[in-house]
Parts: sequence; C-alpha cells; structure tokens
Amino acid sequence: MPQDLPPIGGYGPVQYKRNLPVRGFRPSIMLLGVAGIMTFGFWKLGKGIREQNELAREKMWSRIHLIPLLTAEEDRDLVRRHLADQAREKQLLGRETSPYNSDRFVRPTFAVTPNQKSS
Amino acid sequence: MAARKPMFSQTNLVDTTPLPASIPAVTEIGSSSAPLLSASFFIGARCRPYNDDFMQCKTNNPGRGEVECLKEGRRVTRCARSVVEDINKSCLDQFRKHWTCLDNNNQQLWQCRPAEWKLNKCVFEKLQLEKVIPDTPEGEIPVHLRKRQMYAHQRLLGNGPADLDLIKKEGNAKS
Repeated sequence: MPQDLPPIGGYGPVQYKRNLPVRGFRPSIMLLGVAGIMTFGFWKLGKGIREQNELAREKMWSRIHLIPLLTAEEDRDLVRRHLADQAREKQLLGRETSPYNSDRFVRPTFAVTPNQKSS
Repeated sequence: MAARKPMFSQTNLVDTTPLPASIPAVTEIGSSSAPLLSASFFIGARCRPYNDDFMQCKTNNPGRGEVECLKEGRRVTRCARSVVEDINKSCLDQFRKHWTCLDNNNQQLWQCRPAEWKLNKCVFEKLQLEKVIPDTPEGEIPVHLRKRQMYAHQRLLGNGPADLDLIKKEGNAKS
C-alpha cells in the first residue's frame, strides 16, 4: 500500500494574510490633518481668550467708574441711619453709648425694632 | 467696611428719618443698573477727579470714611448726576436704546455694540465725553470698537464703527 504523500505539485498556498482593502488617507496625511485642525482650534481658542480678557477689562472699568457713586450713596444711607439711631438712643437713654472701644464706624449688624405685637 | 446688612426674617427695617439739616441734601442718582452701566464710561470720563478724591478720602480715613467723606461723596453723586442728565438732554434716544438693549441681553456689553456706537458718537459730539478703556494693549483695536464681536449672538456687525474713526480724526484736529 502506497504511503500517504502530498499531491503531485505540492499543496496550494495557505492564505494567512488578511486581505482587507486599505481605506482612507495615508497615516502621515491623517496625522498632518489632525495637527492642522488642532492648530486651528488652539489659534481660535487663543483669540477667544484674548477677547474675553478685553471684555473683562471693559466690565471691570465700567464698574470702577461706578463704585465711588454707589459707595457714596450707601455711605449716606448708613450715616443717616446711624445718626437716627443715635438720636433715638439719646432720647431713650439720655446719653449716647457705644459698645466699641474705638471711634471707628461700625456697620450695625443688629438693629432695634419697635416692639411687635404678639398675636 | 463690614458689609453685613441687618436682616430680619419677620420684617423689613425701614428707617425714614432724614439726614440732619447740618448735612446738605443731595439728589440721589436714582437710576437702575442698566442706564448706569451704559453711562459708566462717560461718568468716568467726566468725574474721574471727584471719584479719585472720594476713594482717596476713604483710604485716608480707614474706619471713619463713611462719616468723614460725605462731602466728597456728594460731589461724586452730583457729578454723576450731571452726566446722566446731560446724556438725557442730548442723546436720550440713543441712550434709551442702548440701556434697553443691555437690559434685554443680561447686561452683556458685547451684545449691544451697534447701539453703543451710536450713543458714543452722539455723546462725543454733544458732550465731548469719550469712552476709553484704560490699559488696552498697544496696537489692538479696543474691544468696544471691534467690528466683529466674537461672543455676540449677531457676530458680524455691518461696517462697524466706521463713523467713530471719523470722529476721532475730527477730535484730533480740534485738540
């Protein structure tokens, strides 16, 4: 009985490579494209940040121009309330007292209200 | 300044006692935030010395500024009021358009450039007050004069403040 041998002419080639189509651009071109898009994005971002800085400067200066005005108005109101408080105190106690050991102006945290009717 | 206001959960404290007669009265500015923002750079242009005086006084009197700087405060308020009144007299239409626009756009200045340019132009012509943002980097168009506002809903704004360049040239010729 003859031995089991390869066929005459040998076996056909075994396909061990994948045969997939290459799609898209070359990797180098892809890389360049991505770099380009990112460069554009960062450039744009930089411009946006610069503009935001300028807008912030504008806003700050508009506020700076207004702050003395607003502070002056509030100070007047505070002084008015303070003087009224002192006058009331003088009327009730006969003298002016201060809980603070300095003549700094302290914005009142507590205020005396007229007695409320308890229901 | 301790900026803590007296608070009541059950009532508002309203103290209507007026200032004593020894302190001269002054009419308050009586304007809401949008008109003030709209006029702020003009207030700054005219009232800078008064504002600086007031802030200097507050710095020189730490802890007593509220009481000591009433005089400077009155000057500041009077000056700012004069600016707002002058704008009201000469440029009421543009002024009103601009601050209405600011009110409608969350007080974002960059949304209202066209209205602002018109107001700036009018105020410069009538009152000689110019909006200048200090410390703008050299060689850049100041942000309020840029034709293209990056963050505005409507980015491209026609021809931009083309009229303003003209005003500037005239202003330079005058001075």
